[in-house]
Amino acid sequence: MAPSNPLADWEKVGDGFYRNTRIYEAVFADDFELENFIVAGAPYGGAIALYRDESKLSRYRDAQTAKSSIDIYSYSGKLISRINWEHGSIKGLGWSDDEELLIVTEDGTVRRYFGLHGDFAPFSLGNGAEEYGVRACRFWSSGFVALLSNNQLISVSHYSEPRPKLLATCPEGEVSSWSLIPPTYTLSRSVEVLLAVDKTIYTIDATDAEDRVLQNGPFKHVSVSPTGRFVALFTNDGKVWVVSSDFQNKFSEYDSKAKTPPMTIEWCGDDSVILAWEDEIHMVGPNGAAAKSAFVTDDVTEDVFRLGSTSPASVLLDSVDQLDKKSPKADENIQRIRQNLSEAVDICVKAAGHEFDPYWQKRLLKAASFGKSVLELYSSDDFVEMTEKLRVLKAVRDFQIGMPISYEQYMRLTPEKLVERLVNRHEYLLAIRISEYLHISADKIYVHWASQKVKVSTADDDALCRLIVQRLDGKPGISFELIAQSAYDEGRSHLATQLLSHEPRAGKQVPLLLSMEEDGIALDKALESGDTDLVYCVLLHLKKKLPLASFFRLISDKPTASALVETSAREGDIELLKDLYYQDDKPLDGSNILLSEALKQTEVQSKIEKLHLAAHLLSDSKDPIALFQQKSLSEAAHLLKIQETLDKEIADGPEFSGLGVNETIYRLIRSGYGKRAQKIQNECKVSEKTYWWARLRALVAKRDWGELEELGRVKKSPIGWEPFYNEILGAGNTKLASVFVPKCTNLPAAARIEMWIKCGMIVKAGEEALRVKDLNTLELLRAKASGVAVSEIDRMITQLRPRK
Amino acid sequence: MAPRLGSEADHIRDKARRDLLTLLEGVRGKKNLVISKDLAGPVGLFVKFSVLQEYGVDRIFLLENANVDSTQRNVIFLVHAEKVHQIGTTAEQVKRLQENGTVEHDFYIFWVPRRTLLSNKILEDTGIIGDVNIAEFPLYFCPLEQDVLSLELEDSFGDLYLHKDPGCILLAAKALMQIQQRHGYFPRIVGKGDNARRLADLLLRMRKELEAEELSGLDDSVGGLLLPSLAIESLIIIDREVDFATVLLTQLTYEGLIDEFVGIKNNQADVDSTIVGAAVPPQASQGSSSTPQSASKPALKRKIQLDASDQIFSQLRDANFAIVGELLNKVARRLESDYESRHSAKTTLELREFVNKLPAYQLEHQSLKVHTNLAEDIMRQTRSDVFRKILEVQQNYAAGSDPTYQHDTIEELIARDVPLKNVLRLLCLESCMFGGLRPRELENFKRQILQAYGYQHLLTLRALEKMELLQPRSSTGPVVLPGGGASVGIKTNYNYLRKNLRLVVEEVSEKEPKDISYVYSGFAPLSVRLVQCVLQKPYILSLTKGGPTPPTVNTVSAASPGWLGFEDIVKSARGSTFSIVQKGDEKAARARQTLSGSGGVKTVYIFFLGGITFTEIAALRFIARQEAPQRKVVICTTGITSGGKMIEAAMEKGSFAKAA
Repeated sequence: MAPSNPLADWEKVGDGFYRNTRIYEAVFADDFELENFIVAGAPYGGAIALYRDESKLSRYRDAQTAKSSIDIYSYSGKLISRINWEHGSIKGLGWSDDEELLIVTEDGTVRRYFGLHGDFAPFSLGNGAEEYGVRACRFWSSGFVALLSNNQLISVSHYSEPRPKLLATCPEGEVSSWSLIPPTYTLSRSVEVLLAVDKTIYTIDATDAEDRVLQNGPFKHVSVSPTGRFVALFTNDGKVWVVSSDFQNKFSEYDSKAKTPPMTIEWCGDDSVILAWEDEIHMVGPNGAAAKSAFVTDDVTEDVFRLGSTSPASVLLDSVDQLDKKSPKADENIQRIRQNLSEAVDICVKAAGHEFDPYWQKRLLKAASFGKSVLELYSSDDFVEMTEKLRVLKAVRDFQIGMPISYEQYMRLTPEKLVERLVNRHEYLLAIRISEYLHISADKIYVHWASQKVKVSTADDDALCRLIVQRLDGKPGISFELIAQSAYDEGRSHLATQLLSHEPRAGKQVPLLLSMEEDGIALDKALESGDTDLVYCVLLHLKKKLPLASFFRLISDKPTASALVETSAREGDIELLKDLYYQDDKPLDGSNILLSEALKQTEVQSKIEKLHLAAHLLSDSKDPIALFQQKSLSEAAHLLKIQETLDKEIADGPEFSGLGVNETIYRLIRSGYGKRAQKIQNECKVSEKTYWWARLRALVAKRDWGELEELGRVKKSPIGWEPFYNEILGAGNTKLASVFVPKCTNLPAAARIEMWIKCGMIVKAGEEALRVKDLNTLELLRAKASGVAVSEIDRMITQLRPRK
Repeated sequence: MAPRLGSEADHIRDKARRDLLTLLEGVRGKKNLVISKDLAGPVGLFVKFSVLQEYGVDRIFLLENANVDSTQRNVIFLVHAEKVHQIGTTAEQVKRLQENGTVEHDFYIFWVPRRTLLSNKILEDTGIIGDVNIAEFPLYFCPLEQDVLSLELEDSFGDLYLHKDPGCILLAAKALMQIQQRHGYFPRIVGKGDNARRLADLLLRMRKELEAEELSGLDDSVGGLLLPSLAIESLIIIDREVDFATVLLTQLTYEGLIDEFVGIKNNQADVDSTIVGAAVPPQASQGSSSTPQSASKPALKRKIQLDASDQIFSQLRDANFAIVGELLNKVARRLESDYESRHSAKTTLELREFVNKLPAYQLEHQSLKVHTNLAEDIMRQTRSDVFRKILEVQQNYAAGSDPTYQHDTIEELIARDVPLKNVLRLLCLESCMFGGLRPRELENFKRQILQAYGYQHLLTLRALEKMELLQPRSSTGPVVLPGGGASVGIKTNYNYLRKNLRLVVEEVSEKEPKDISYVYSGFAPLSVRLVQCVLQKPYILSLTKGGPTPPTVNTVSAASPGWLGFEDIVKSARGSTFSIVQKGDEKAARARQTLSGSGGVKTVYIFFLGGITFTEIAALRFIARQEAPQRKVVICTTGITSGGKMIEAAMEKGSFAKAA
């Protein structure tokens, strides 16, 4: 017997058709008073949460039901779990897209239940929620807004790290109804709230509260369409207005003629509104057309099933009937729609997806199959995929599972999330079957299974670990870390350690190892991962926890760990660094810290003290580098003392303090304190060469030509005479520079010739050339010469030129 | 899917820009942006200030200046989350704004390149983690050019070799993983040096973890298993510590010399406006657009953009400085004749054509002027007595002559008070090339340095020693011999490699270079020679064994991959030597091979861990040009470095004179 035609439950509203699909029957017991419960259903055919409405009286049945609880059911009425409730008055009950149940209590506490079985994470709304109390909440797919009794609004836009935020302050007054537009549908990409206050409506976001200046309030209902484009308002005089969500356009008005406002106003699709009273339902379609029903039909479905439809798809479906009857009309039909056959097949495939009834699904697919058998070139991918999807949908829609998800919803939810939901319901077998069928990884399912096993099993640790490892053998992506975490949470730390050793990702093991106080292993694993961030974290944790000595011992044979401790200590904890170097017996490094500190001192005396301390640290050391360091530190202190005296005796302020030895000597000579300079040279054992350089540069800077000339009379200079020539020439005194040219006997004649030229002394250069009998150079010089020099050079040239 | 060649840099640039702008878009309304110094430059590489403004950024502040004004409700921090002190500074500033501000703030922190546990911990300890919105800005590689991808980690050299902090290796691995995830696995990873090995190990580990995650479907974004890439030939990793000496030499290419004398950061150089003239308005707004307002800076410097967008610079950058003058003259003559062509323009059409080209001429003319002035200034500096002495010492070291002959010169430089950086560079060069200095001589130099530059440099010297840049020669003799002995590879044996890889090339033509040694006027950087051992085996063989140079450098590496043929020689360079083949599922790989064939130009990624110099980039580009028909070369690095920057990492900045 063929079930009723899908048309049977259609209803026409305006130009469109609407249908009501009955999925499960007799879900709850007959005496179950649904009207006495607050109900919230998770999106995509997910679970339903029920909580007895405290404001309504209910029949006392037994102690169990009298106890306050939140019951989570599947859509088919199967109790999934029961959460005992003793946390006070519930002001918000809602679901996220990930099927997490959110419960908001009057005091502003939010409990986020994940996994459907009572595990939860709480957070507080803050922002005055505790004082004023939460009055109501509105949810969207990934967040919610709470309305406080003082009309303040608090939004939470995501749950992973909730940041409750106060929205703009809204005016005082009686809130008669409210609603929100989810962030995905607003221009600003943040949530907007529509608050009906007194006679008007305010649109409120994070920064503004905008009055829409309406007069027909108080509005008993404000309802936003699923895409956030339209808003339905129920006016004080019983009319329904449909306006754009920015309140710029009014699209339709419908007079309900009812004296009492409806219990609820909901949108059905994006183009019709349902008003529900206790005993009556009105449906307002586009432009005010009305009917009483639900569920918009899809275009494809309409195309196939609409009465008298002559669309190719409809004809194709008819052909299947003809085929069953073995009628030749089947072929006639096909010929008739030949032109559009490919399209008809597509439509039949799609329509099958939108049908809930397997009978019609099969019919439509059969029609598609028949159609495509006639087509020469047709990709069957869509067809095959659709059969796959329908099999999955059929499996989860079964009342045992109770997830009446539509095709569109399934597409948006994704198979992975569907599997996740099955896992949360502990439907492991079906989850694995579906995963394998759709070729998606089943590892998460195994992990969930194993974690659950750990929670409920009473077997001993070894046996349980063996069982789990055996079962999960050959599955490389398994996160043993998560399983181990569950074991640890159950207080089975031995089992946790065992399980953790099977985790392939070193980094993943670290946090759990730390909480299990397996410090050494945690540090090793962190180092193994190569992630310095992880290492830092372990180190910070351990430093806080362990006595310093044990902490240092732990890191002593781990160079990277020690290096990171040193690096972070250098920026904030110098004392720690000193202790570390002391414990590690690194006096040189310890001494260097004191040297750094000496540099930071302001007073000379304290600088010197620190330097002595630094030197003292090295007093037991025999290492040549340490000895050198020790000597240098003493020299540094000594130099500071000398400079302090200089500053006092010959300078106005701190001129010398802190300079290098060379610079001190240089400045002394430049200021004419040659004797003092010499004394420092002796005391600090500055080499003759260095001293001469300092003297030369200082005298040149001082332009003390006399002293320089005097110096030139000495027989030998440890740095030679060329530097004298260069520096003095650089200072512009060619005459004095030239004095040093003949003294540069170590240089080749050519260099000296060049030096003479630079002083502008062509004749001298010529003489040099003559001495080495360099005729070429002489000729070049002649070109450069002028005045008397010309004849001089000429004379030299003739002198050299061989007589003919 | 064969990704378009040469698009890696573009891809990374686009992605970085998109990521950042999406994050900014997520913050409603006007906002102030606080950015850390080390990020301001890199961000400027892919997004202009004007664009940030379009996305609501009102003002930009540097984190280090701690001067955020509190007028704006939205405050965004863009900061590295890997460093303790930067996280700490960020936390402090958030707290300060909370306490002082009259305006209630919404705080956003975009951690670069990832949100770390450390950052969570610090924010938690400061008590503000609940008050800030946290997001990640996954910026790893910043493309400097089409062929240069840099992590632009300024401190990476000091971190790696002084503080022994391997953080940048992880970031390098993550950056390379992104390339692998886009193109498939590097079919082969060849490398030299212990840190290089560490990087390769991390890559292997990450691949394993990624595969595990793909198998388990934890990562939804990646469909199917990755295979060895068909578009990539290999990844070559060179650890900087294999060849410190090259960096210590003075760079002699044009771009290298600019870096030596002026400094180039994120493709920009701050040049004295007395040299290149004051900034011209249009160019200034282009060049400095992305840099935050720093009005306090005296206007004596002008930012010069140094990248491929400047055509003249592109022609000059990799040339030896000796021929830059000539090249500039050529450009000048061409420009002039182009300009003169206006006289020959007869018809109105020709005239219009000329007018259309005019802006381009003017731009080129601008650039010509800048580079002529800059080159002249560099020329002046290279002529100085001190510079020539330094160069001479370097060239002698590079050639391997007895280092003690240079000591008098170095002592003279110290006595003449030339900047300490230059002195240390020479001493470190000697230490690196000859396995340390004799203890007595080293001590002597140290004493002279302390007396000349101050005793605070005890710290500098100690740091250099820790970095193994300046060390006493061990008593067991200079350096190990190749091919045997237990201590092989402890230090790079330049003496041996100089001969066996022909590092010194006497007959070098700067004008028409035949070998990479042109970049140092006769010295081939060891780091790049090592790359040639992988990519240009026949050439290196002909170079070292004598015999004819092969007319074209043909690809033999496919037949003899990795270090094959050079294993023994390469052993005398410091650290681990490795060549790893990354295999995929054989069947799948073969199936794909038959489907798409194996032909086509393949890319070689060359990663310089710890930094690369402009000179080495020039040398690698030289190789890339020779290999052009068969291969493409992409250079990757943790950052651009130079001898000066290397020494800078060790240098103690404090002194006894200035009280802190």
